[in-house]
Amino acid sequence: MKPRPLAFVAVVALVASACGSSSSTTGPQVVKIGVELPLSGGEAPNGGPTLNGIQLAINQIQVPGYTVQLNTQDDAVNGVNNPDQGAKNIGTLVSDSQVFAVVGPFNSAVAKAEIPVSNEAGLIQCSPANTNSTLTLGDPAKALRQAHPDQIAYVRVVANDDFQGLADAIIAYKDLGKKSMYIVDDQTTYGKYLADVVQAQFTKMGGKVVKRDGAGANVSDYTSLLTAAKALSPDVVFYGGVTSTGGGVLRKQMVANGMGDLPFVGGDGISDGAASVASSFLNIAGDQGDLNTWMTTAGAHDIPDRATLAAAYQAAFGKELGAYSAAAYACTQVYLEALKAVGPDRAKVRAYVTDTTHTFNTVLGPISFDANGDINQEIISYFQFDPSTKDWKFVRQNDPTKA
Amino acid sequence: MDVGTLTQQLVNALTLGAIYALIALGYTMVYGIIELINFAHGDVFMVGSFVSLWLLADFFGLRGPINNPAELVGVLVVAFVFSMVVMGLVGVVIERFAYRPLRNAPRLAPLITAIGVSFILQNIIQIWRGPAQLNSPQLINVQAGFRVGSAEVHWISVFVIAIAVGLIIGLHLFISRTRMGRAMRSTALDREAAQLMGVDINTTIAVTFFIGSALAGAAGVVQGLYYGYTFFTIGFQGGLKAFTAAVLGGIGNTTGAALGGFTIGFIEVFASQAGYANWSEAIVFSILILVLVFRPTGLLGQPTAERG
Repeated sequence: MKPRPLAFVAVVALVASACGSSSSTTGPQVVKIGVELPLSGGEAPNGGPTLNGIQLAINQIQVPGYTVQLNTQDDAVNGVNNPDQGAKNIGTLVSDSQVFAVVGPFNSAVAKAEIPVSNEAGLIQCSPANTNSTLTLGDPAKALRQAHPDQIAYVRVVANDDFQGLADAIIAYKDLGKKSMYIVDDQTTYGKYLADVVQAQFTKMGGKVVKRDGAGANVSDYTSLLTAAKALSPDVVFYGGVTSTGGGVLRKQMVANGMGDLPFVGGDGISDGAASVASSFLNIAGDQGDLNTWMTTAGAHDIPDRATLAAAYQAAFGKELGAYSAAAYACTQVYLEALKAVGPDRAKVRAYVTDTTHTFNTVLGPISFDANGDINQEIISYFQFDPSTKDWKFVRQNDPTKA
Repeated sequence: MDVGTLTQQLVNALTLGAIYALIALGYTMVYGIIELINFAHGDVFMVGSFVSLWLLADFFGLRGPINNPAELVGVLVVAFVFSMVVMGLVGVVIERFAYRPLRNAPRLAPLITAIGVSFILQNIIQIWRGPAQLNSPQLINVQAGFRVGSAEVHWISVFVIAIAVGLIIGLHLFISRTRMGRAMRSTALDREAAQLMGVDINTTIAVTFFIGSALAGAAGVVQGLYYGYTFFTIGFQGGLKAFTAAVLGGIGNTTGAALGGFTIGFIEVFASQAGYANWSEAIVFSILILVLVFRPTGLLGQPTAERG
């Protein structure tokens, strides 16, 4: 007798569902951490190593009773981070009931679009890389969380741009001894604010900003801007922006226009790996453009046990730690600690993470968040291009307000 | 602004204008002959830059400037010929499959397929090379040049302007002096009458697409040599400016397209010089609107009545 296919399928399905239900009562519960990062195209050098940091954390840290998975969303559209896509992604994560917390986003303009959504849903976000000050501070931050002004649902493990901008001004004025600066910003939330801070701090120190230009992602020819700037004889250039909106191209064209010898300082927007990484700042700027470049990242480079983390990362992904891999690892640790303490309930996790009295043990050391969601350690790391390795070289780290 | 800066900006404007002019020619030729705004043309330019990138970086394995003059000329000739022929053929294929079947359809239909082709080209490149800025080898040392007064003129700028002017003159001679050029002009004037006089309309239109797309391919090579990078969306930006240049100069008129390209180059550069880089597009389009209000056929365009 031939088995009837339909009946056979039905029996298999019944057995399978029986197995499924029995395992869910005894086995670990599946919960998810949402990941919202720019992952494709020109943003891959940013989002990729950050995602790896999250992945490494959930591989290494077990929470009894739970299987932690990721729901990963990419906010890059046509290779550039996109706030509208970010807002859509956060909506997708809100509607996945297994997601109890979100790591991301990477870019401040994206965060600006996402915070109102996550705030309304009460879904906690931890950014490993957002530095714009207005995301957490003052009236602009309050305007972002209209639904629940008193219940913040956004924290970050990096310092804000008031600190980073000060550090960039210190590099230009004190470290390099430069007095007249040319500033270009990329017209984004992040780039513009950071450039504002640098301009204010550099001027306050006694320097002069000889020219300031805003050039968004639609500008691909900086030649005429550079020719106009060159006539004003600046001795240092600051770029407020990211690589995908033109940082590398700007530096490349500076070389072509005889301004390659001018020191070039940028924020963490140009911290996207060695010259060998395709589409990174150092890759696009080119061999000559890379010389005389400096940048900062808004977090500690020398974390308590960097060697161990770097070795585990190397073993898992065959690469060096990215600029914000450790920060992403720390965000994940915060969430896993909250999961262990209060379970996967969104409201409880949000309350636990934002409780200013809690201290979390992370790879960044013991950290806590203040009432605005900012981390308690405001540390900036300083880097300089190293021609021998064709990569950024760590110089020092400090809280620039105390330096 | 001192004289040195002014001279420098003039050179910048001419270089930028030369690139726009090269792309604008393709728009204006196609419009002249079949009255279609070929929105995919900017993306043909973009694909050209990737074809040249592939040839130079992946096939020849080149990374930077070539110092031996003979070798440099040889590689440049190969790069231009290869990119122009490949893009010319791409143009012919686009015409054959996206526009010819719709030649007698309402005008909106080929316009929509043109936009479709634009997306298809962008997606092909996005899948092939990824949505990231890629370095193109700058075969001509971009820092080498000579001094004019206090201004520094780079050989690469001279080269870009020379290539563009050379191709524009060549095109002009082709259209005004050759048999095929005459066929193109007669087809533009009155397609049916030309056909009755023995002009092979399909071949003539295919040749028009070949030449227009080949010029965009040349502009693609220039993009890599001059800017040293390419990206899969540059076709939209470059195409929009070049289209504006074609309309400004009088669409359908090749000399006008070249003039329009240089005009837009000047507007953009001097807007940047004046500190209005972010306004350059608004300024360009405001001038376009003014020109169209007071001279609806563009700077050198002729009233359509003369056509029919």
